[in-house]
Amino acid sequence: MTEQVYTVASDSETTGEEKSQLSFPDVAIGIDIGTSNCSVAVWTGHQVELLKNTRNQKGMRSYVMFKDDTLSAGVTGGATREHGHEERDILSGSAIFNMKRLIGRMDTDEVVQASKNLPFLVQTLGIGVRPFIAALVNNMWRSTTPEEVLAIFLLELKALVEMHLKHPVRNAVLTIPVAFSRFQQTRIERACAMAGLNVLRLMPEPTAIALLYAQQQQQLLHDNMGSGIEKIALIFNMGAGYCDAAVTATAGGVSQIRALSGSTIGGEDILQNVMHYLLPDFDSRYAGQTMDRIKSIGLLRMATQDAIHKLATHDHAEISVDLRGDYKVSKILGRGEFEKVNQSIFEKCEGIIKQCLADAKLAPEDINDVILVGGCSRIPKIRSVVLGLCKKDDSYGGVDPLEAAVSGAALEGAIASGVTDPSGSLDLLTIQATPMNLGIRADGGNFATIIPTNTAVPARRDMLFTTTRDNQTEALIAVYEGQGKQAEDNHLLGYFKITGIPAAAKGTVEINVCMDIDAANVLRVFAGVVKPQGQAVPPFIEVRMPTLDDGHGWCGQALAKMYGSTLDLASLPKKLHP
Amino acid sequence: MIRCCSTARGKVREDYYQALGVTVNSTPQEIKEAYRKLQKQHHPDIAGYKGHDYTLLLNEAYKVLMSSSRNANANASGRGFGSGFTGNGYSSWNGPVRSQALFVDENKCIGCRECVHHARETFAMDDVLGSAHVEVQFGDLEQQIQVAVDSCPVNCIHWVGSQELAVLEFLARPQQKEAHGVFGGGWERPRDVFAAARNFTRRLERQEQQEMAPEQRYNDDAREEAETVAQAEGRRRAGQELRWRRLLDVLNGLRDRRKPGADR
Repeated sequence: MTEQVYTVASDSETTGEEKSQLSFPDVAIGIDIGTSNCSVAVWTGHQVELLKNTRNQKGMRSYVMFKDDTLSAGVTGGATREHGHEERDILSGSAIFNMKRLIGRMDTDEVVQASKNLPFLVQTLGIGVRPFIAALVNNMWRSTTPEEVLAIFLLELKALVEMHLKHPVRNAVLTIPVAFSRFQQTRIERACAMAGLNVLRLMPEPTAIALLYAQQQQQLLHDNMGSGIEKIALIFNMGAGYCDAAVTATAGGVSQIRALSGSTIGGEDILQNVMHYLLPDFDSRYAGQTMDRIKSIGLLRMATQDAIHKLATHDHAEISVDLRGDYKVSKILGRGEFEKVNQSIFEKCEGIIKQCLADAKLAPEDINDVILVGGCSRIPKIRSVVLGLCKKDDSYGGVDPLEAAVSGAALEGAIASGVTDPSGSLDLLTIQATPMNLGIRADGGNFATIIPTNTAVPARRDMLFTTTRDNQTEALIAVYEGQGKQAEDNHLLGYFKITGIPAAAKGTVEINVCMDIDAANVLRVFAGVVKPQGQAVPPFIEVRMPTLDDGHGWCGQALAKMYGSTLDLASLPKKLHP
Repeated sequence: MIRCCSTARGKVREDYYQALGVTVNSTPQEIKEAYRKLQKQHHPDIAGYKGHDYTLLLNEAYKVLMSSSRNANANASGRGFGSGFTGNGYSSWNGPVRSQALFVDENKCIGCRECVHHARETFAMDDVLGSAHVEVQFGDLEQQIQVAVDSCPVNCIHWVGSQELAVLEFLARPQQKEAHGVFGGGWERPRDVFAAARNFTRRLERQEQQEMAPEQRYNDDAREEAETVAQAEGRRRAGQELRWRRLLDVLNGLRDRRKPGADR
């Protein structure tokens, strides 16, 4: 108010504008693109607010509808057009959904194979290239890519946010599954770039929830209800496409991720299992999409989905659907039956949690809170499996299972944008951990891990390698990511060659390979000759990974065929550091 | 050399303690709190990209100190005997670990700086103590090192077995004297460091035998970083094996050492 006294009248308009800009600095928005639902949240200055679309939904269905020449995504749900989209329309073949499961995957991937019985076209050749995807427009398949579909969706989402905030939005924090490879992460970044969004951070979903949990614990402390000692939480997040678990240690607003694990299983697999159970000849019946088969798959999908939702609260669900072509499914599905059909999925969930606890070196008794989030956390069997493994009676009740991830992402967006809050509710930090081993090919086809799983980020590790042949002047550095012992079992991120190595007997040259991950999760690989030293060695090489764009399976094989073991490296025993 | 590759090189434990602002006697709880406090100031999410290098050091220091604090718990028991001894030497290694290492008997050293002059990467002068010590094992070419060894006017540079190096270097540092009330405190170092090393190893081994029974107690101490029974068992076995082997190696090393000693 006192400032007003000194303001010259003619300047008042511009200062007013500046003020509104100051109160809305360029804060990154938080986006949670789910396999089935998507939501967006912003930090409004004192809290996180989830934005609603014109249909008053916070969780928006993830799909893009192709109709004639107009495209419309699930954000508006077609509400601005002549009529809104119904679930029936989405399953008609004209809409592409599940793009999060398809993005950055090769057609040899079993997830892509399983996506073939979706209503839209997923064509595979099984040779390790990207699958062909198309939507039905006027009874014709029109081709597109998962990146393009995601970009269209994000564009509509961005428009929604800008309408709410009344200023342009540039930066975003997105949540991704733990199981996403670095290549898939670049695909998400590509889609964001197409939509005009700059990715500030890609954070694994459970770590976003961990940040929200840290904020709530800090809040309790301010209200003198918390004790301030370290709290350990297990976060289990299972949505339609992916399943993740994390163990976090929280104290003083800092959440340290102790372990991460994840897998590509989710509600979609449960749905597929039940559909195959209801129609044992599902695959042969629906091989090759024709117009009537597409309609029939859509009907079965809807009926099954409803039944699974009903089984979360009821013991039985009735499925009665007329699939046309003189075939009818009518069945009463019991919960016990449902659990038996999906047993393998529940076992995988158990495996993920056990792995996570073992990596964090914790016993179930050490866990203070179990946080269950994601659409599938409503399934009673999932709840009992997770709580049983952690020996808890109930889960943590402070978070909304569908809104936790996006709220955490919005918090991270505000923190990483440099926003501070006088009341201290942004005095938070997540110390991320690496979800997978990173290393290079060495000692034959082996995988030499340089940065192991669950290393605190930012991380930098180096390792020494040596030549395997006398007078070897060139060496290939092939960078892989994954948990396999053999290099070929892992995901190839990229490769480069060190040339001009001084000629010497094998095993005498020392080559240092150093990997650096910064807080934005960017991986850089540095490599060069460190022994012998002097002017006769080539300069170091710095490479930002991943460099590969396509054909990851091929490249490794082609390199092996072309060069055999002539460019191989062997790892040197570790030097003793004091 | 490129800076990226040098973070892990030549870092000694003191640097880690300094980075976290904790002392050798800090509990895991204190280390954790210091780590979190510093992360909140320097993490790139908060401090921007300039916090990257410092956070790297913090992460490394935290990892090393937290993993060794479990072992330190077992060491810092009883009468405080051998507290601070971690089984690691003070000097770092240039190149792979070899069977022999250099050791300066700092009691005999007259501070002439001859060795530092001839092999500056390997030896360093401690101006406070007035004596030289080995900073980096095999930091220079072998000829240079041999010249440095031969140039010592009081012959206080010794070739020793790598295994006994840790004990010798630990004992060569001034130790806190056991005080009787306000009398007799202060710092000292053993007159004959080689005899002291033999003594030390023997006591360490005797203590190890005593500790075998009440192992459970240390598990309770180590609850901060909880571990399963199987892990504790594995660690105990590994620890025993390490210490037994160290004793044997020291005995062998002593025998070996006499030979080059007689030559000189």
